[in-house]
Amino acid sequence: MSAAVQTREGALILDSHKLSYHTDRVDAWEAGERIAPVSVDMSLTRACGAMCSFCYAMMQESQARSSIKISNALNLLDDFAAIGIRSVSLVSDGESTLSNAYVPFIQHAAELGIDVGNATNAWEWEPEKIEQVLSHLTWVRFTVAAGRPESYASIMYKGPEHTEVFDRAIKHIKYAVDLKKRNNLSVTLGIQMVLMPNLKDEIIPFAQLGLDLGVDYAVIKHCSDDEQHTLGIDYNQYESLHDLLVQAESMSNEQTKIIVKWNKIKDGDKPSYKRFYGPQFLLQISGSGLVAPSGMFFNARYSKLHIGNFTEERFIDIWKSERYWRAMNYLASPAFDAQTMMGTLPIQHYVSVALDNHAKGIQRILPCTGQRPMHVNFL
Amino acid sequence: MSSNLCYANTETPTPGQAWCQLSDNEKLALVNSTVTAKMTCVNKTLVAVEAKLDGQVIVRLLEPVNADKRGTLLLDLEAFLKESIDPGLVVWLEPFGDRSSLRNLRGIEVKS
Repeated sequence: MSAAVQTREGALILDSHKLSYHTDRVDAWEAGERIAPVSVDMSLTRACGAMCSFCYAMMQESQARSSIKISNALNLLDDFAAIGIRSVSLVSDGESTLSNAYVPFIQHAAELGIDVGNATNAWEWEPEKIEQVLSHLTWVRFTVAAGRPESYASIMYKGPEHTEVFDRAIKHIKYAVDLKKRNNLSVTLGIQMVLMPNLKDEIIPFAQLGLDLGVDYAVIKHCSDDEQHTLGIDYNQYESLHDLLVQAESMSNEQTKIIVKWNKIKDGDKPSYKRFYGPQFLLQISGSGLVAPSGMFFNARYSKLHIGNFTEERFIDIWKSERYWRAMNYLASPAFDAQTMMGTLPIQHYVSVALDNHAKGIQRILPCTGQRPMHVNFL
Repeated sequence: MSSNLCYANTETPTPGQAWCQLSDNEKLALVNSTVTAKMTCVNKTLVAVEAKLDGQVIVRLLEPVNADKRGTLLLDLEAFLKESIDPGLVVWLEPFGDRSSLRNLRGIEVKS
C-alpha cells in the first residue's frame, strides 16, 4: 500500500485501497461467505452533456437504458442499508447531477448513514443544488480535463471556441469551495485530470488550476481502455511523462495537494491478476439500471455477466440471487482471465491487486492500526 | 481458503489443436450445428456469428432477453460449448455502440 497524502484535513489515499479497514468482509470472503459489497459505484443516468475524448462510457452501452425514478433510487439505498453496503460513489457511466433523483438520493443516503461521493463535470451543478447536497457528501471530484479553457473545451466538448463550459464549471467549483469554507464542511473537494499520453502540455496548467481554485487536491490519473483498444491508448507512452508529473506533484502547497496515481499508470495494461475478485467488494451499477459486477462489463458484449436491472426488481433480490453469485464466481474461476478478457485499470484495480496478492499468499490484508485515513468506506 | 480462491494461479484454458486446425467457417459451423443438435432450448434465441482462432465465439441474440435472463442463458451456452467442443471456448455477444449522439461526434467506434 502506498503512503497516504497528508492534507490539511487528514490522510488521503487515492492511489491504493482501504481493504485493511474492512477485514471483516475480507475474512468472510476468504471463508467463502456471500458478502455484501463494501461500496457501490453507480450513476443515476447514462446521460451526459459532455463529450470527453477519454470517456469510457462510450464503450459501456448495454441493451436498454431504463429510466431511474426517484422511488427506484430510494429503494436501492434502502436495500444497500439492509445488506450492509457502507458507501456509494456516484461516478460510473453517466452524469448523475442531471437526474431528478440526484438530490433526494444523496439526502436519503445521509439519513441511512451511507457515505456518498460524487464525480461530476459540474456544468449543471448549480448553487441551489450545491446547497442541498454539499453537507451530505463525503467528497466531490470534478472532472477537469485541462487547466486551460480552450484545451478543456476541446477535450470535453465540441471545440476550443466553447470555453463557456469551462467558465461554468469553474464558477460552480468556486462556489462549492467557498461554501465549504463558509460552513466549515468536512467534504473533500478535488479536481481530476484523465491523462491521455497526448495531453502532456496540459499537466502543469491543470496543477496550477488546482492551486488557483483552492481545492483540497488535484489528481492526475491514467486513461482506461477496453481490451479491443477502442480509445487507442499506448501505455508505453506514459513513461515519457514521468518528469512532468513529478514537477506537477512538487507544486503542492499547504491547501492543495497535487497527486499522481503512479500505481495505476505503472500497471497500465498489464494487471498482475488473472482472477477478478474486486467486484465482490466494490460493485458497479450502470445509469441504465443494469447491475453487472464491473463497469467493464456494461456493454452488451459482456451480457453473460449481466445480472439484473434494479428498476425491474429490487436490488436485494438481485444480490441474493444465484445469478449474482454465478457471475461473481465466474470471475474467480479459471474460465475468466482479467489480463485478456476485460479493459484496463477498472475502478476495482487496487482492490483486485490486493485480494489477488492475499489469495496467493504474497501479501495478506491485515487490519490497519495506524492513523485512520479519510474516506475509509470508499475502497 | 474457500474453493473459489484456489484458482488465483491457474491458467485459463486455451483452444486445443483440433479447434485451431479448423477454418473460421468450419469453427462457426461446428458451433452452430452443435448448439442446434444438443441445445435446442436456445435455437430460436441466438446464433453464433463468428468463431475465432483464440476461442472467442461471438453470438447474436435473435430476440430481446431481459437483464435477469441473459447472463444465465449465455453462461449456460458457454459451459455447454466448453464441454461439447473445447474447454478453451469463450462466449461474447456482439458489442453495442454508444447511443450518445453528442459523444458519437468523436467518431469513436466500439470494436468487436
